[in-house]
Amino acid sequence: MTDRTSVTSADLNPADSAGAAGIAAGGVRGWLDERFGLGEALLRALRKPVPRHARTWSYCLGGLTFFAFIVQVVTGILLAMYYKPTPENAYDSVLFVMNRVPFGWLIRSMHVWSAHLMIVTLFGHLIRVLVTGSYKPPRELNWVAGMLLLVVTLAFGFTGYLLPWDQRAFWATVVGTESANSVPVVGPAILHLLRGGPEVTDLTLTRFYAIHVLVLPAVMVVLLLLHFVMIRRQGISGPL
Amino acid sequence: MSRVTLRTGAPQWSPDEKPIEDPIPFIPNHILGELVSLLLTFAVLIVLASLLPAGLESEADPLTTPEHVKPEWYFLAVYQFLKLVPEVLGVLAPVVAGLALTLLPFLDREPRRNPRRRPLAMALLAAALVAWIGLTIWGKLS
Repeated sequence: MTDRTSVTSADLNPADSAGAAGIAAGGVRGWLDERFGLGEALLRALRKPVPRHARTWSYCLGGLTFFAFIVQVVTGILLAMYYKPTPENAYDSVLFVMNRVPFGWLIRSMHVWSAHLMIVTLFGHLIRVLVTGSYKPPRELNWVAGMLLLVVTLAFGFTGYLLPWDQRAFWATVVGTESANSVPVVGPAILHLLRGGPEVTDLTLTRFYAIHVLVLPAVMVVLLLLHFVMIRRQGISGPL
Repeated sequence: MSRVTLRTGAPQWSPDEKPIEDPIPFIPNHILGELVSLLLTFAVLIVLASLLPAGLESEADPLTTPEHVKPEWYFLAVYQFLKLVPEVLGVLAPVVAGLALTLLPFLDREPRRNPRRRPLAMALLAAALVAWIGLTIWGKLS
């Protein structure tokens, strides 16, 4: 790997040297640049200086959590092509994925393992940010966004757990949703809302499926964008 | 809270931060390092998924309650906590704790970031981790 050890002025101000040529450049880049004028801004974004203290394993954990999420998106889309969210068909469709679909077992197993990994790296990232005090001003709101990402990730785990519709999935959901009942005043209403009725039924399954594949991914993407934009605007917290 | 302004003109929010020296560009240098950790992780995922594929129990039967019903490992601490304390406390405590953690930057007014200068915060973190891991193991074994 060629190691360019420092950021030159050309990296920070591409217009100084290469940038001027870039605007007049031909090819795809020149064509796009004539229309959108993004060349300089894009180059600046890609060349964003990264402080050296951030190049250690504990600073990778957030990025790895994001990577685990990408794996979830890809394997999740593949699973959704075979999965049937009804009590009559859910279990059989998972069996079909495991036994008949080429590499279906691998796709589902990676979805499960990547979910575990995502939780592990997420908690690791959270502990790193706590230890380095990176949640402190001016990054308070990015911490809040991170905590919301944690809640969304746990909700992904909870809703996804029901989908195979085996004994473990069904009864873990019965017990898990039951605990909402203990919340004072609004408990029974929350339970009803979670299950789509007083019991765990087909309505619970379609509800959890819709939340798992439609609601949570949308919320996740918005929060991730906010998380990343805030990191870029505020920079990685300084060395200690 | 006073903000120190360095020679560079960039505001420094925490008194124990050192100035950033000699950064490297995001592309290609930083992203290559990230790519290595990412590919290693991907390899680990494929090996785990191949050696320990996802299981499937018998089909859900609403009329037959299995003997042991336990949640995923990351919910085990809360699950065990629910068994130990009165119901209302059991469900509200994790919610309040999560809310407090979310608002941590507004509750913790200590401007220093270096963990060596924040012994109380680090002790609390260690205690919370020990409690969480302990409850998880207890929930697993119970």
